[in-house]
Amino acid sequence: MAKTDNGIRICQGLLILGNVVIGMCGIALTAECIFFVSDPHGLYPLLEATENDDIYAAAWIGIFVGFALLALSILGIVGVMKSNKTLLLVYIILMLITYAFEMASCITAATHRDYLTPNLFLKQMLERYMNSETESNTDKRMTEGVTRTWNNLMLQNQCCGVQGPSDWQEYTSAFRVTHNDADYPWPHNCCVMDTRGEPINLDGCKLGVSGFYNSNGCYDAISGPLNRQAWGVAWFGFAILCWTFCVLLGTMFYWSRIAY
Amino acid sequence: LHPHSVISTGTMRPLLLLLLLATAHGLDTLSYTPVLAGAELGGRVTGSTFVLEQPRCVFQHYNTADIWLVVATAAGEWGDRGMGVYRSSPPSWPTPIPAGSASFNDSAQPGMPEWSFQRFPANTSAYLTLGAMQYHYSCPKPDGELTVLRVGTETSCAGDTSVPNCNGPLPGPGPYRVKFLVLNGSEPIATTKWSEPITLRTAQHPTSGPGMDGGHSGAIITITAILSVLLAVLLAALLATLCGSEVCGAGSFRPDATSIQRYNTHHVYDQPAARL
Repeated sequence: MAKTDNGIRICQGLLILGNVVIGMCGIALTAECIFFVSDPHGLYPLLEATENDDIYAAAWIGIFVGFALLALSILGIVGVMKSNKTLLLVYIILMLITYAFEMASCITAATHRDYLTPNLFLKQMLERYMNSETESNTDKRMTEGVTRTWNNLMLQNQCCGVQGPSDWQEYTSAFRVTHNDADYPWPHNCCVMDTRGEPINLDGCKLGVSGFYNSNGCYDAISGPLNRQAWGVAWFGFAILCWTFCVLLGTMFYWSRIAY
Repeated sequence: LHPHSVISTGTMRPLLLLLLLATAHGLDTLSYTPVLAGAELGGRVTGSTFVLEQPRCVFQHYNTADIWLVVATAAGEWGDRGMGVYRSSPPSWPTPIPAGSASFNDSAQPGMPEWSFQRFPANTSAYLTLGAMQYHYSCPKPDGELTVLRVGTETSCAGDTSVPNCNGPLPGPGPYRVKFLVLNGSEPIATTKWSEPITLRTAQHPTSGPGMDGGHSGAIITITAILSVLLAVLLAALLATLCGSEVCGAGSFRPDATSIQRYNTHHVYDQPAARL
């Protein structure tokens, strides 16, 4: 009948459109997660030292889920066009598995974002920056990573400490054990540097004259990229899953209407 | 003579005696009070240093004399910091200590060990440092320049007893009082007032604050709840779809899908046997 025929055609058209969108979103998810995993801001050593780098695990899962979504969307388009029940059943089951993985990735990214408080980074910086006594090889590697990351952070973002240079004065630190307070009220990387990498005025830096030292904290430079990463993975994944839900329901409905 | 006890009892005759002694020595008491540098300096007060404003336009009349900074303990509790990173052994002090600033004898000789930095504060309650001449504090104060004195900045001579006037890092959080003393050789000519007590910063352990809040943010709860519901709906729909078809077996009857069953009856097998 023409009306049923039209209805089926519309259903097919919608499903194909839905799968095309899923395929493109899969590519976008893969690209976004590759970008995050490549760590353009160099913040991974900080997370590694907190032993809480699940945001990166979520991004890794996102890469593979993105590829799976692309492949499955092509399978779905082929199955809908051929009205093949077997293909569509395979498509539905694999999509459900992918759905479960992406759900795990979203929830992980969103949950572990909550661990990233200023206090966490402050304690880590005070305990590890320029710590000369380390217990094991992994400890040493993490400490060196933290020291290197903080040095880069302070140089590139013109900042000092987590909330400000006063962090080095208010709290005891591993840095204070090897660097006395009179010569190093705060690390020399907090000083404004010239092109050769030397402080332009070391006395001005030690006195705390604005213009010769960095008086703002680095927390924004850390939390900004990490927040964007966590929310990017979590919310984009959530959006994809909502769309996939609709497409899967439509596919199941279409599957049940196919006659042998 | 104990000036401290004189001032505290407040009787007239010993006070008069003190005034006479002062004028007899020719000691001018200037009205300038040493003050900390402005609050715009981030390192104004640290764990072992502090920054004073230079005493510009104060010592105009003392062209040939030496101007020394006297750093003394003030009345108050002392904490034993025990840092000792720049000394061979950390000193320990009784608490509280009577105010060195009140018992300071103005006839100080900068080179003598009685007023040396290295013996402060265990064996002496005040020391002299930052020796300067009047032209260092010339008037007027140059515009746009930062004129400050950082007390505690020389770490190289902190343990060196041959440099008794070392401007070494202060050994404890204080409090301290400072004043400027103008000496001609070892004879005091003028002195400023004592400053307000200056207490240095003490570092604390970082508090183990809220690493993870008691309740997760609303976003996580939303995401988790909605996604779980959606997944449950999908699984239910899948089960309904599959059981609606022949897979579960109890669904609609499809005649074309049944298989034909063969029944062997006795008379079929018996017939060939009967023929034989």
